[in-house]
Amino acid sequence: MIRLCLSALLLTAALPAHADVAEAVTKHALPGYARFAETTAALAALDTCEAEPLRAAWNTAFDAWLGVAHLRLGPVEDQGRALAIAFWPDPKGLGQKQQRALLEAADPATLTPDHMAELSVAARGFFALERLLWPADTPEGDYACALTHATAQDLARMAAEIDAEWRDGFAATLTAPGPQGRYLDVNETRQALFTALITGIEFNADSRVGRPLGTLDRPRPERAEARASGRSLHNITRSLLALRDLAHALHDPLPQTDAAFDRALHQVGKVDLAKLDDPGMWLKAEILEENIKAIADAAQMELAPALGSSIGFNAADGD
Amino acid sequence: MHRRSFLATLAAAAATPRLSWADAGSPAYLAAARLPDDSYALHGLTVAGESLFGLPMPARGHAATAHPERPLAVAFARRPGTFALVIDCARGIETARLTPPEGRQFNGHGTFSADGAVLYTSEVIAEGSEGRIGLWDSDTWQRIGEMPTHGIGPHDIRRLPMSDDLLVANGGIQTDPTDRTKLNLDTMRPNLARIAPDGSLMARAELPEGLHQNSTRHLALLPDGRAACAMQWEGDAAETPPLLALWAEGALAACPVPETEALTMQNYAGSIAHSAKTGEIAITSPRGGAVQVFAADGRFKASFRRADACGIAAGPGGFIVTDGNGAVLALDAAGFRPLAKHALNWDNHLIALERA
Repeated sequence: MIRLCLSALLLTAALPAHADVAEAVTKHALPGYARFAETTAALAALDTCEAEPLRAAWNTAFDAWLGVAHLRLGPVEDQGRALAIAFWPDPKGLGQKQQRALLEAADPATLTPDHMAELSVAARGFFALERLLWPADTPEGDYACALTHATAQDLARMAAEIDAEWRDGFAATLTAPGPQGRYLDVNETRQALFTALITGIEFNADSRVGRPLGTLDRPRPERAEARASGRSLHNITRSLLALRDLAHALHDPLPQTDAAFDRALHQVGKVDLAKLDDPGMWLKAEILEENIKAIADAAQMELAPALGSSIGFNAADGD
Repeated sequence: MHRRSFLATLAAAAATPRLSWADAGSPAYLAAARLPDDSYALHGLTVAGESLFGLPMPARGHAATAHPERPLAVAFARRPGTFALVIDCARGIETARLTPPEGRQFNGHGTFSADGAVLYTSEVIAEGSEGRIGLWDSDTWQRIGEMPTHGIGPHDIRRLPMSDDLLVANGGIQTDPTDRTKLNLDTMRPNLARIAPDGSLMARAELPEGLHQNSTRHLALLPDGRAACAMQWEGDAAETPPLLALWAEGALAACPVPETEALTMQNYAGSIAHSAKTGEIAITSPRGGAVQVFAADGRFKASFRRADACGIAAGPGGFIVTDGNGAVLALDAAGFRPLAKHALNWDNHLIALERA
């Protein structure tokens, strides 16, 4: 019986796992980008200046973006698209400054698709739209509404291009690696997706929680992502759910990683990043940061041996 | 071997002219690597990326430097380094081993004097990370002195062309003497120091105030006497400062990239090289999985994607790049072209054995 178990085990190890790069591409990346393209197109199609429908469509599109935002490889790397879609963090407030200048100039020529595509990445994408849809001190007006439409159309154009480039090229780059491609073999494509997973988890800990967390003596709640729209925690939840989906597409089952995701997702519900001035809340947020880092640790332990992959030898170093 | 015949061999060796690089049939590049069994080695590579030898190293390596005339090179341990290996590049064997004096640590890089008589090693005083240049006799491999680098945490060191002056990248980072923990990121103040052979400071260049957390780490010499410096940002990760600076006339000028390229390198440049063939400068980022190429005047030209790319040196058509997945690739305007893939992880640097 023992021998039988062992040979069964060896057989399992020798067989390619069902979940792998192809599954991550066909069941995670491609549907994710398709949804991103659909939802941004729906936002861009709204012919209204009323805030409520625009906000609702923007929220739906942002949710879709968080389904793929961690996939920082391929078409989003070109032309600064990842930045132009979501320019955050923005410690110098470049987005706000540039948007104010656009609104003050109120130049209709800026609003053509070609001009929008040439604008600074800081003045485009989801966060430019957030400032327009939840204005703080900018008075709303005809030009602000026209800029909202132009920004939404620019975002939808990028989403459609990225979706098409994944379907017509980058998906095959990942699933059919070879000497002519960017990835020489399947180990390299596994590493690329594994790196995206770990980096995506770390972005939630280091940036989405870590930046507002600051220190106990100096919390920085004003640094939270998407504060005006009230999405700061929602973004963490959506991102973690998408990352869990990617992890399972790469390998299944992942009991330790799942447990770590569950702990972090549960902790999100106890945190309010707007109330970090309260030391009790600060500690809860710090626990959330630790819980998210623990997901990366669990994923490294469970997924790296299963995939025969790891974060790059030099990327993990520093010198 | 009997003592007498050994002495006779020695006498014969002294009587015959030493081997030169031209005689050696030696490799075009050196690169340190981690092997699948987690041991470390130094490989000699041809321009086609094939390995001519793999020499075991006692621990993880970093960079190396070639003697200007004799076919030997010195390979350095990763910092905090406890050894450097003198290598006969023709035969791929270790011929001597250097150990830093008590209280000193090698920092991964070194260079030879113009006549090859002296090896200079980049070092720190373990307590406090103040920079030192170790001086070693290249015949006896005895330590013959040391001098200051005029900064904290020196990393790369180059001898300026047609000169015996040294250019040192004082990265500015104080590290824990027992590990690599960074201790002074808020107050760090990196510089590039031009140092005369007697240790006196000829010129010190610093970046503008807002860039004091940009650690100057690796250098490439340009044929016109300037140098290019690759940097690593230790400040707020949300800021994206330039990672390349040009050193000329004792001053540093940063080379910004277009905003669409701001995240490409993830604020980290691991290695730098200049290609005499194309006149370009390239920096690598294993964290960003990319190589950025600049014109000789520092203008950004293009980014090329390759996961974990780090080692880079001039190649026949532009550059040769090594990565953590064992690949050796040619890089030119058309992009990467794989030359060879080895079952190992190439470490930080690819060292061209350029000879006078």
